Amino acid sequence: MHEEWSSNILLNDPMRMYRAKRDAARRRVTDKYTIQGFISSGTYGRVYKAQSKESDGRIHAIKKFKPDKEGDVVTYTGISQSAIREIALNREISHENVVALKEVILEDKSIYMVFEYAEHDFLQVIHHHSQSRTAVPMPVLKSLTYQLLNGLLYLHDAHIIHRDLKPANILITAGGVVKIGDLGLARLTYQPLQPLFMGDKVVVTIWYRAPELLLGAKHYNKAVDVWAVGCVMAELVSLRPIFKGEEAKLDAKKNVPFQKDQMLKIIEVLGTPDERDWVGLKDLPEYQSLKRLDAYRNRLGEWCQSRINSKEGFELLRQLFAYDPDNRLTAKEGLQHKWFQEEPKPTLNAFASLATTQGYPQRRITHDDAPSMIPLPTANSQAQQLAAQAQAAHLSQQLSTHPQSGKAGSAGAASFASLSGGAAGVGSGHARKKTRLG
Amino acid sequence: MATDFWVSSHNTRWNVDRAALRQARAEDIHYVDHPEHLDFLALFFAGLIARLGKKLSLRQRVIATATVFFRRFYLKNSYCDTDPFIVIAACCYVAAKAEESPVHIKNVVSEARGLFSKYGIKTFPSDNSKLAEMEFYLVDDLECDLTVFHPYRTLMTLCWKEGSDSISDAEAGELGAGIDNGQRYWGTGEGRLEMHEGALQMAWFIINDTYRSELCLIYPPHLIAVTAIYMACAIHQETRGDVEKQSQLPHAFGGAQGGMGTTRRSSRTTTSPLKRAQPQDIVGFLAGLNVNMALVATIAQEIVALYALWDRWKEDGTVDSARASLKRSASGAIMGATPMGNSPIGTPATGDHGHGDQHPEIVTPAFLIQLLWRMREARLADLSAHPTPGRPVVVNKMLERAQAAG
Repeated sequence: MHEEWSSNILLNDPMRMYRAKRDAARRRVTDKYTIQGFISSGTYGRVYKAQSKESDGRIHAIKKFKPDKEGDVVTYTGISQSAIREIALNREISHENVVALKEVILEDKSIYMVFEYAEHDFLQVIHHHSQSRTAVPMPVLKSLTYQLLNGLLYLHDAHIIHRDLKPANILITAGGVVKIGDLGLARLTYQPLQPLFMGDKVVVTIWYRAPELLLGAKHYNKAVDVWAVGCVMAELVSLRPIFKGEEAKLDAKKNVPFQKDQMLKIIEVLGTPDERDWVGLKDLPEYQSLKRLDAYRNRLGEWCQSRINSKEGFELLRQLFAYDPDNRLTAKEGLQHKWFQEEPKPTLNAFASLATTQGYPQRRITHDDAPSMIPLPTANSQAQQLAAQAQAAHLSQQLSTHPQSGKAGSAGAASFASLSGGAAGVGSGHARKKTRLG
Repeated sequence: MATDFWVSSHNTRWNVDRAALRQARAEDIHYVDHPEHLDFLALFFAGLIARLGKKLSLRQRVIATATVFFRRFYLKNSYCDTDPFIVIAACCYVAAKAEESPVHIKNVVSEARGLFSKYGIKTFPSDNSKLAEMEFYLVDDLECDLTVFHPYRTLMTLCWKEGSDSISDAEAGELGAGIDNGQRYWGTGEGRLEMHEGALQMAWFIINDTYRSELCLIYPPHLIAVTAIYMACAIHQETRGDVEKQSQLPHAFGGAQGGMGTTRRSSRTTTSPLKRAQPQDIVGFLAGLNVNMALVATIAQEIVALYALWDRWKEDGTVDSARASLKRSASGAIMGATPMGNSPIGTPATGDHGHGDQHPEIVTPAFLIQLLWRMREARLADLSAHPTPGRPVVVNKMLERAQAAG
């Protein structure tokens, strides 16, 4: 009789004992953290602000990956590639200028990544200055750019390409330390088993996407991140994206179209690329599409004149925007640039030069949503969705003056709009669902 | 850094010693007649991972990662408490993602069902969500450490040649991809060892074979790679001839510099010993790597012990392995070529359980699957009944573990 019972277990659910043991041993998120409020949401899920129940009472940002649903029932469908990436990479890295992962908690079909908390981000700083019609002070600008390059150098030395650098993904602690966040699109490039383009057809949010990607290059490298740094630096300077193109949509067969408008925005400032400056330009798939565009001359100098009051600042930007990826500065060369050696020098605390009254506002969180971090019973899930939608709308209104606001929420973590988002999201009042290949 | 082995999760959290391995099997060992049956299980499961991997068209490195995940999982769990077959499938599924070559969960489920049913396993679930559920628990037990280092990388860094055609097409990509992008993460020497095509291939296969044992949990990958190179050089006829010739000449022992100045030759010329001006000083090259050669000798002994065990394993179909060559080569070739004679450290795996005597019996998959079923039934019976006087430990361990984890 005994035998029969055990055979049944072994036949029907051979892992039952194992799971029971594991579940009993597991400490839940809410055992360890007090959720203080909701920060932002995106394709991946949502980010919460939480305080540790340990004696240090430290503040964290907890990123909860969306549990998969089949209808209303939450079920296991496999951990997404981007979650696996972000977890795998974050477990291996540690650097002052990269957001630190404290722990990962797997519970009730959801994955929670517990990160160190950062009070600000680049997008919020840009937003603050554009609302108050002030420029980002030179010492702050330089420190933020320097620390960004410093974090990027670490990632690149570890053979990691970030592939989604943009203001919303670059955080700053209250102490003025830059933290590169969101490695959900990042990849280890050391001895890849297959070429990078095989995995993800589209990488980097359109406004920050390097020209070689726009021209369809199959092989790209760390230089795509450096281009994005150039875009971010320019955005800190002018408080709006320097190349703010309209994203062309994928066609029905999910072919990636030539991003004509984005390319045009780039050449309007940097001039039409010349085969003599860019070896290999002719061989890129979209070379003919590029030739069909009107020709422009380089106006970056004029662009900088009214915005960066520094010859070396312009020089750095010019070199970050080198068309040929092989001629583009590396993160290391960027750090060694003369601009960082002339006064004012970059500081460890990017806000060191600011008066105490000048600081940036704290990250906004909403409190009413906190309970929904714990999955509600199935019957309530519709209400939960409604609440989430209302909140997303609320959030995007808050940020509606920034062109990105229609996309994937604001600060704190990812917003992946590489495929469907882009400028199309501008002005739409609702956070829309985004999809991503890969 | 994700590419610096020394600070990696692999090195800092997942290198264990023999005592930890014994502890991991402490419960299982109550349920087997002979401790070496556990070694056969380790061999069998790794073989299944490789087969499932091949069916899913996974590359060798992905299969290796899946195997390491499996071994790590069973550092914390017992065979008798779990269903190794779903764990195998989950390991392949996660490894494919971790190595950026994902496969669809549907394919994993259907290929796993097909493969395991050939062994009479009918319990593998047809429902994708059961595999996804296992993935979830697996990632948790792996503590989210999903970046694994492998000896292949060291082998290629040390021995890779452009235009090398020794490794099959499927693996050629692994040899070439990103090789110039990499840095050596250990070692003092520069330059490369120019191996015969056959010897390089053999080293590759020896590395594949090491995953059938638990070596990947005990030794850092670069040491396993050096051991594989060393063994391949000792087994491979032509290479061995070269080494023996060189050992007649006193200047050949000039040291690490021996290999540095050598210009790269095409694979065609290296295959013919007659055309080569002067063979590279292999002994000097290995010495110049500045690794613990005593440890290398120990690993070599463990690999030989694995092959001895493997010889008694009978499965339908042929398995590609370096064993055949090993058997062909004169007995004692390995130990004879060891630069430092007997190793001072440890004993090979077969001696581990204190059974020096040889068991000539042949072990088959059917036997192991029956054994596993009996283990699981006996275990369940023990857990549900009052703890029997003979095995109170088993239940207490459970409690202890749960407490430790909590």
